[in-house]
Amino acid sequence: MGPDISHHPLAGADGSATISSNLYSVLAAVNGPIEVQRRDELPEEAAIEVNIRPASGVGGPRERWLESVVTAVLRSVLLVHMHPRTLIQVTLQLTTGPTLKLKNATRDISVLPSLVNAAFLALVDGGLPLQSTVTAVLLAVSGEEVISIDPAEKELAGCKSVHALAYTQHGDLLLNESAGNFNLEVWEEVADRAEKACVAAVALASEDDEMANGTAEAAPWLRRELEEKARDAVAWRDHT
Amino acid sequence: MANGASTAPGGPGLSFPPETFAKLSPGPFLHAHLKQQDPVRANGRSPEQFRKPTINTGSLTHSNGSAVVRVGDTAIVCGVRAEILLASDIPQPPKDDVETDDLVEDLGLLVPNLELSTGCSPAHLPGNAPGTLAQSLSYRILSLLNSSNLISPSDLSIQYAEPEAEEDQPTDEFKTVTKAYWTLYIDILCIALDGNAFDAAWAAVLAALQNTSLPMAWWDPDREAIFCSPLASEAHKLQLNGLPISSTFAVFSTASPLKRREDVESWILADPDGFEEDLCRETLTVVVATERSEQNPGGIIRLEKTGGAVIDRKLMQRCVRMAKNRCSDWDSALRGC
Repeated sequence: MGPDISHHPLAGADGSATISSNLYSVLAAVNGPIEVQRRDELPEEAAIEVNIRPASGVGGPRERWLESVVTAVLRSVLLVHMHPRTLIQVTLQLTTGPTLKLKNATRDISVLPSLVNAAFLALVDGGLPLQSTVTAVLLAVSGEEVISIDPAEKELAGCKSVHALAYTQHGDLLLNESAGNFNLEVWEEVADRAEKACVAAVALASEDDEMANGTAEAAPWLRRELEEKARDAVAWRDHT
Repeated sequence: MANGASTAPGGPGLSFPPETFAKLSPGPFLHAHLKQQDPVRANGRSPEQFRKPTINTGSLTHSNGSAVVRVGDTAIVCGVRAEILLASDIPQPPKDDVETDDLVEDLGLLVPNLELSTGCSPAHLPGNAPGTLAQSLSYRILSLLNSSNLISPSDLSIQYAEPEAEEDQPTDEFKTVTKAYWTLYIDILCIALDGNAFDAAWAAVLAALQNTSLPMAWWDPDREAIFCSPLASEAHKLQLNGLPISSTFAVFSTASPLKRREDVESWILADPDGFEEDLCRETLTVVVATERSEQNPGGIIRLEKTGGAVIDRKLMQRCVRMAKNRCSDWDSALRGC
């Protein structure tokens, strides 16, 4: 139920977090708002720089593409107008990845949700001003049109199409990367399930949820993590 | 029309020509165009109107295949050069009896490279190393080439019927062995950029690959090398599996965290030009498989949406419909060349 998360593992960065799912482990660090190079400076907003380092080797065009996707998503999450002419630097280091052989398109899309979720947790840890939350989820559609959320490696290896979607707490679609062979009907069902999972991850737990179903999809894992973090942050008050 | 272009009689009036207004405040200029009763864009197109493409092929004499695509003021040249990769040079050669679709991706037999630093626009001065945008576009093209299974490995294999016997014994038993592969170096140069490089570049790749002819090649067992025939009559054209078509949309929105959600106005602009691309943060690219595709006729191969929250499920349906209608434009252009 929800990925494995640890808060503030790096003392030197303004904000940091690690997130471990069944496929990927990512260490995210955020520095900001910091000084920006003259050529990257934007007069009315903060510039966002995302650096992605793969688990082995140095980054190439693949990482540059992933960085441009994550930057575009974070621009809708951060309140960039609060800190004009500064830089918010996000570094995402992949530490582990799937061991099975996957098609390149599947591999590229399957890493996106972990990257987005890790970046968001690091931004929260760093106390940067955010206009909304973002939760990303990975879905795979098998040859028999069976849709699975957070698929295992084996399901990914044999899937017909793979989809990475990210939603805010209100259900606004911020990211959609889909590859494979599918059609609009399949996509709509995928989007529906993804929206339910993403909104539920941050939703207020109500009595209905407790009684209805204890499925992993409905678990508000992000809200629980953030509430626990907030509680730990003010725990010192009770001790004094 | 944009306010300020008035001709006030008498006294120093505040009147600029529209071009000056576009330079001083591009956002409000485009907004003023779009918020009319009948929305129109600054370039005169309606929001859902694409630019008409033109394709010319075979103009580069030293390439195995080439194409020039013009979409409005965006012009892209693509050249395909085939080189031979010997199977003996591959560190872990694939088994001969298994020829999967993944072979093209695993061996890297398609190598696209998109070059933007050609002076195609003021933002891309010539001679610089490829920036994030160029690398991103190159990677997206590579990813689409491989995931759409456009070229099957058998088209790129050079095979040899190896006799299955001792050296001097005559035999009727032959085993087909792949001795080498054709590697296609696909060079895409942007010579003029007025928005939407991806769609034009992808179409240029398709047209150039359609135009590509590979010489007849065979393995000579005595000289232990690959020989190619110089005769054009013996060359064969590549067989493409379907023709997936890409359509890109940009979203112009007045949304900001300082504004109420109800007050936000947004428009979807199909095939954005350079001016609109600078003003739009959210983009959507839809790649549709045409009816000719065997695997997924009329289906979707790729959806890429980032940058904002305007496009929801309903607007996505509309964009996919627009992308499917766009296929006929490209189909006729690609078939005519």
